[in-house]
Amino acid sequence: MASVHLDGVSLRYPSGTLGLADIHLRVGDGEFVALVGPSGSGKTTLLRSIAGFLAPTAGTVAIDGSTVAGPGVFTPPEERRLGMVFQQHAVWPHWNVGRNVEYPLRLARLPRAERAARVAEALDMVGLGGWAKRDPATLSGGQRQRVALARALVARPRVLLLDEALSALDEPLRDRLRLELQTLTRTLGLTVVHVTHDRDEALALADRVVVLDGGRVQQIGSPEQLVTEPASPFVARFLSDATIVPGACEAGGFRASAHPLVVPTAALAGQGGRGDAELAVLPQDLELRADEHGDAVVTSSLFGREGNDVIVDWQGLSLRARTTGYRPRVDERVTVSVRRGLVFPSEGVRSARRVLA
Amino acid sequence: MRVAVGAAVAALVLVPRGAIVMLAAGGRHLPTLLEGDVLEAGLNSLVSAVLSAIGAVGLGTLLAVLLERTDLPFRRALRLFALSPMLVPPFVGAIAWIGIAGPTSAINLWWRELFGGPLWIVYGGDGVVFLLIVHSYPIAMLVVSAALRRIPADLEQAARISGASAVRALATVTVPLLRPALASSFTLIAVSNLADFGIPSIVGTPERFTTLSTLVYRYIQSGTVDDPLGVVATVGAVLLAVALAAVVLDAVLSRRGHELDASASPPQRLPLGRALLPVGAATWLLVLALTLLPILALASQSLLPAPGVPFTLENITLDNLVRAVTSKNAIDGALNSLWLAGLAAVLCAGLGLAVGALVTRTRSRSNRPLQAAALLPQAIPGLVIAVAWLVIAPRIGLFNTPWLILAAYVTSFLALVVQAVHAPLSATPMTAEEAARVSGASPLRALIDISWRMALPAALSGGVLVFLTSVRELTLSVLLLSPGSQTLGVAIFNLQQAGAYNAASALSLIVTLVGLAGIGLAARTPKQA
Repeated sequence: MASVHLDGVSLRYPSGTLGLADIHLRVGDGEFVALVGPSGSGKTTLLRSIAGFLAPTAGTVAIDGSTVAGPGVFTPPEERRLGMVFQQHAVWPHWNVGRNVEYPLRLARLPRAERAARVAEALDMVGLGGWAKRDPATLSGGQRQRVALARALVARPRVLLLDEALSALDEPLRDRLRLELQTLTRTLGLTVVHVTHDRDEALALADRVVVLDGGRVQQIGSPEQLVTEPASPFVARFLSDATIVPGACEAGGFRASAHPLVVPTAALAGQGGRGDAELAVLPQDLELRADEHGDAVVTSSLFGREGNDVIVDWQGLSLRARTTGYRPRVDERVTVSVRRGLVFPSEGVRSARRVLA
Repeated sequence: MRVAVGAAVAALVLVPRGAIVMLAAGGRHLPTLLEGDVLEAGLNSLVSAVLSAIGAVGLGTLLAVLLERTDLPFRRALRLFALSPMLVPPFVGAIAWIGIAGPTSAINLWWRELFGGPLWIVYGGDGVVFLLIVHSYPIAMLVVSAALRRIPADLEQAARISGASAVRALATVTVPLLRPALASSFTLIAVSNLADFGIPSIVGTPERFTTLSTLVYRYIQSGTVDDPLGVVATVGAVLLAVALAAVVLDAVLSRRGHELDASASPPQRLPLGRALLPVGAATWLLVLALTLLPILALASQSLLPAPGVPFTLENITLDNLVRAVTSKNAIDGALNSLWLAGLAAVLCAGLGLAVGALVTRTRSRSNRPLQAAALLPQAIPGLVIAVAWLVIAPRIGLFNTPWLILAAYVTSFLALVVQAVHAPLSATPMTAEEAARVSGASPLRALIDISWRMALPAALSGGVLVFLTSVRELTLSVLLLSPGSQTLGVAIFNLQQAGAYNAASALSLIVTLVGLAGIGLAARTPKQA
């Protein structure tokens, strides 16, 4: 196992679009890091830069302390000793399961006896012991993904890269493979970089999560940190469905612009300071009460196991709330109160502060 | 309607086939197959078809891999050039190559002056194989390119991350997955080259290299054997058997193909690095030599009064071109070809659309046989189709009429439209028609309003393709020729046979340029639709 260090990695495509911008990331030995972000955020680009399918146009990528991509250096993917699982499993259809898994060992020129033992071991590990002679065409999607995982692990890679590895699977199966993947990677102490667009999957599996947007890192932190202390309104909205309200911080608290919402200082968290600001309200920090004379109207109300997902229209402001116990009906009138809000200086104030600092 | 369409296809495809087999089944002429002439011609056909198919698949695959999977410069232009021989009728290509490598071509004259002998003369068996390769590698290139594009890029990337170099990943993962495509393009090309007429008759005959098609032509033209039709039908039946065996073989091979997922990421092009310049230059030189050089040769021959005359300013004349467009023969041929091809295009488009809609839009046990029957002629040498129509012509009163040529055109080229409409029809889900039914349309109305309307652009471009193919056709026309029904291809062929090389070149040049322009336009129309 090994660490992965990215220093100032940028990638500009020949067309001129920026794929990655100044990425700094250190994945520790044995750490499980998930990359999340909306589509086009650069998460797959980042993974492919680590794999060696893309070459950064600036910065360096180092695996296990040795630079694999940087100024004047580029190690092709086949020499990086990595394992990778693709979204569409990429099991080679012209070889049987055993031959698929054996391929990396053949290329590493291992003796035949050792190859057979390692293939059997890898297949056992993913729960496909004794399936070596099967034709991939006869396997289900989940089984093929297990073959791909065995193939990625058989040569004992320095880092395991997962590119939306579970995304093509249907829900109950995906859940089970998620559990198995965690057990497997933790027992083997694997360094894993996992790309997914499923934020719950990222939060569930990873030691640390990297949130990307527009090719830039928005926040790196543990799942708890990201959920409770998002670094920006974007992270709060992307990971936790927070409602973002523009306004300003005053002596008494936060006052929304063009809306009656006021949140007293005592209920505010986040970066302080006066001036234009944005308030992020997490769904669980909103309280709804049934009230015939309330000034908010419920526009949708979906049932959920851990709380109902309710959207209310509060005098033109659309808010997302999570209610437990009480599930309002659509068109019901309610009153809204904010238990807690996270304040972020607005973009203008932030850049002004950067200039002053 | 099913009955009517089925009957039309049967009349066009199955009856002629049956007639050959019936006539041949008498068996009286089977011994002639083993006679010196026929046996030698059969061997020549077989050897030239197999060798040219191997060469064409090799060259086509090489070009497909270079164009699809490497960072070769100017790939788009290169691809267009490389495909262009498919658009030039083979007999025109043969005429053009005589200009390049004939005994009195500039290159051979120059070489003779330097070394006392010609460099290479295109006449003979090697020339036939070479020209067959030149005219069939684009098919292999198209088939292999399509197969390459269907192979998901992550299969190769998974091999890279497993430790394989780019070349090794290509060789161990991609090429094995191409095997079904290689096999099917091999059978397709071998069968169609088995009975090509234009190339062996123009470059093979001068060296007495006889193939089955030139032999059949000789038998039909001059009564050198008793009962020529019987002998010819026997030859046709044998060719038909070979073609059907190839169809079956191809079906078996393609069933062994692998199920592939849709590709998630675009393919990684192999950087050629230091090899870029030599590989790029070599590819460009080769492709230009095979495509542009023949057209230039045609042009220079068109401008000269006789073969072997040096290409200087004083010698240049426009006489050939003027004569080509004003001679009665050429004009008659062009007019005949135009109306025959036009009618063939209309009939093929209508019938093809009907077959396509029936096969994709209805559930019936007769669908598969119907489609197979409509597509079958594509796998059958034109020679067999011509012979089949010759055999039944006297019985249905079409003997010695141009209608015979029309019928043969429709038989041969119906498959072009059936294939063109198949893709859009099978790509639009049944729900599109079901939505029309729910909106109140009868089944027939829904079929016409939804499926036919959606497949119409494809049927029209298929019809244009039929037109452009049949307007320059030679094999069928030359064998089914009747008084007053000379076609354009036959006009050129007769000029060439009569020794008017430069006039033949001039007419070929015009046909080629007009044809290339026409196909260029036809290829552009579906994108706008």
